[in-house]
Amino acid sequence: MALIGSTRRSRATRVPPVVLAFVLIPLLAEAFWVFWPALQGFYLSLTSWDGLGAPKFVGLGNFSEMLHDEVFRTAAINTVLWLLLFGGLSAGLGLGAALLLQQERRGIGFYRAALFLPVVFSLVATALVWQAMYQPDGLINNVLEAVGLGSWKHAWLADQDTAFYAVIVPALWRQVGYVMVLYLAGLKGIDPALYEAAKVDGATPLQQFRHITLPQLRSVNAVVLSVIVIDSLRSFDVVWALTRGGPYHSSELLSTYMYSTAFQSLRLGYGSALAVVIFVLAFGVIASYLVRAFREAD
Amino acid sequence: MTAFNASRRRFLAVSGAVGAGALLSSCVTQSPSASGGKSGGPVTLQSNLSSPQAKTSMQQLVAAFNKRGGAEAELNTVASETFRTQLPTYLTSATPPDIYTWYPGSVAESYAKKDLLLDLDDIWGKPELSGYTDALKKLCTSASSGKKVFVPTSYYWWGMFYRKSNFAKWGVQEPKNWDEFLDLCDKLKSKGVAPIGLGAGGDTPWVASAWFDYLNIRVNGATYHRELLAGQHRFDDPEVRKVFDTWDQARPFFDPNGTAIPFQDATTALLQGRTGMMLIGTFFADAAPKDALGDIDFFQFPIIDPKVPVAEEAPTDGYFASARSKRADGVKELLSYLATAEAQELYLKNSSGTALPTHPDAKDAGTPLVVKGRKLIESAADVTQFFNRDSSDALQPTADTALVHYLAKPKEIGSILTTWQRSAQKIWSQ
Repeated sequence: MALIGSTRRSRATRVPPVVLAFVLIPLLAEAFWVFWPALQGFYLSLTSWDGLGAPKFVGLGNFSEMLHDEVFRTAAINTVLWLLLFGGLSAGLGLGAALLLQQERRGIGFYRAALFLPVVFSLVATALVWQAMYQPDGLINNVLEAVGLGSWKHAWLADQDTAFYAVIVPALWRQVGYVMVLYLAGLKGIDPALYEAAKVDGATPLQQFRHITLPQLRSVNAVVLSVIVIDSLRSFDVVWALTRGGPYHSSELLSTYMYSTAFQSLRLGYGSALAVVIFVLAFGVIASYLVRAFREAD
Repeated sequence: MTAFNASRRRFLAVSGAVGAGALLSSCVTQSPSASGGKSGGPVTLQSNLSSPQAKTSMQQLVAAFNKRGGAEAELNTVASETFRTQLPTYLTSATPPDIYTWYPGSVAESYAKKDLLLDLDDIWGKPELSGYTDALKKLCTSASSGKKVFVPTSYYWWGMFYRKSNFAKWGVQEPKNWDEFLDLCDKLKSKGVAPIGLGAGGDTPWVASAWFDYLNIRVNGATYHRELLAGQHRFDDPEVRKVFDTWDQARPFFDPNGTAIPFQDATTALLQGRTGMMLIGTFFADAAPKDALGDIDFFQFPIIDPKVPVAEEAPTDGYFASARSKRADGVKELLSYLATAEAQELYLKNSSGTALPTHPDAKDAGTPLVVKGRKLIESAADVTQFFNRDSSDALQPTADTALVHYLAKPKEIGSILTTWQRSAQKIWSQ
């Protein structure tokens, strides 16, 4: 008995080697595969490097170049616009779809599945399908022609006025289903008694939504917001597959600009500096939101 | 985006680890044969020729080489875009693939300058390569070290391609000069055909550079063109402005969808008679159905200023090898084989057959089209490669942006050229 007691005490005070290994080995792997390359990225952002010779240290030169770089300005504005449009619309439409499809009715599963289906496809495959639709003689232009709107026909992806919005649509098409599922799960978690009580008090559906649904969804909102911010800042594949940031940078995002400077123009130092900016943006937005959310929770 | 960065690195590190593992295992498995005269397993040939016809031809070429006995080779086909972005990583890694499909001239020179390419002087002295033309010898010699670093195996030409049957149907002929060319465009337009197809949309915006290249070598000459691409002139110079003034005369005749579709779709439009003609390299024939091949013809890009010596664009393809290769003997054996007439004929027989072999004794496909193409290049006073090959892969995106912009907003040419110069400056000053 005493023996067992002593082992127990030592277990409580000293961490057994197996547990230590379970913590340290993944940490080492993480450090090697993630933290070290990330730190290297920070270092590279202070250099000028073509990927062949030795990196040349230039201090903050890359960052001061950004101040005068018009393409960077376009890409930054587009990224913010993307965050607002893509983020706002996918949250709004996702919540709307979830509210519509939350009641258990016959055949509702079909609609949920249909909305969720685009999430299953890879974004590059999605982009290829949409590229075919946007072609000058593709589906969209043909439909416009057929319904007598021939004058609206357009080279959607090759026109700098429409390329950016044309690229957002497939991204949204895919994201809405995902956000909808998150909200559906949130809606399921709300206690029905709240609605019953509200009905007894004579609350209208709009009041129920405003005073019960929205406050109850607060924790889901935090998840949705993080997902949306991360997804919009890393939006790359769909833009790259459809327009590569063109025509002449009109649909350029920070991510596509980073890729093309680093791996097409082989200016890896400047590309890394752009990656740092994206990191700071993503981290800043999410951290500030989380801090606020936790403070409210306290 | 560091996540993206990190995952790429992770991929590189993993592939590096896999590569190292493969090397270790090959050391183990190959050690008996190493004592038999080979060093370290088969020679790896990294190829970017991923279109079905070209890939099959490469496989057969490597199979034929392996059948001869001697060194062994292994083909590794990589998608073109991946190949291009990974090439610096391949070449600077400690255990690189041995041989690469790529381009001679300034593209190879950028790697040769950093001592990343294998010195191939000794195989150039051997019978397989000694008969090659002086122009090719010069093209494959590194300007910085004076050593040969490249083995050319084929080249192709650019021209204004059209369908013979369509020209006959429309009652038009090949033009002899720029004015006749503009007349031809006028005539085609009046028949409801978009005279000039392009295909600079999707992932092939570089096709537009052919127009810049040709107008520049016709207006300012090949020497100026090369100097411009090497950073010795500015893109906002009056000479370059003249190129776009000339382009302005032809621009109204371009297919309005030209910047919205990739060149493969533009090829379809040409073959279906929706566009009249297209400035393109013979590689477009890979996408053409076999029965249309006999109906395809081309004419020389029209002469604009008769005082400028006639140059043509004829990019050369071939191979270079990594300086860090552990199998230099095998590498040279394979490169010598690829340089033979026999190997080049084998390749052409299995591919679409519109390229020309570099070996003086190798027979080309012999079709009227190829005979005409060969004559075009052989009678030219000077031969250029292509925008990215005469400058660098890094400069190509600056041209893509500028030219696509020009085609959409020709009036903004002044600011387009200033911006082009500014972005080119960043690449040159690296």
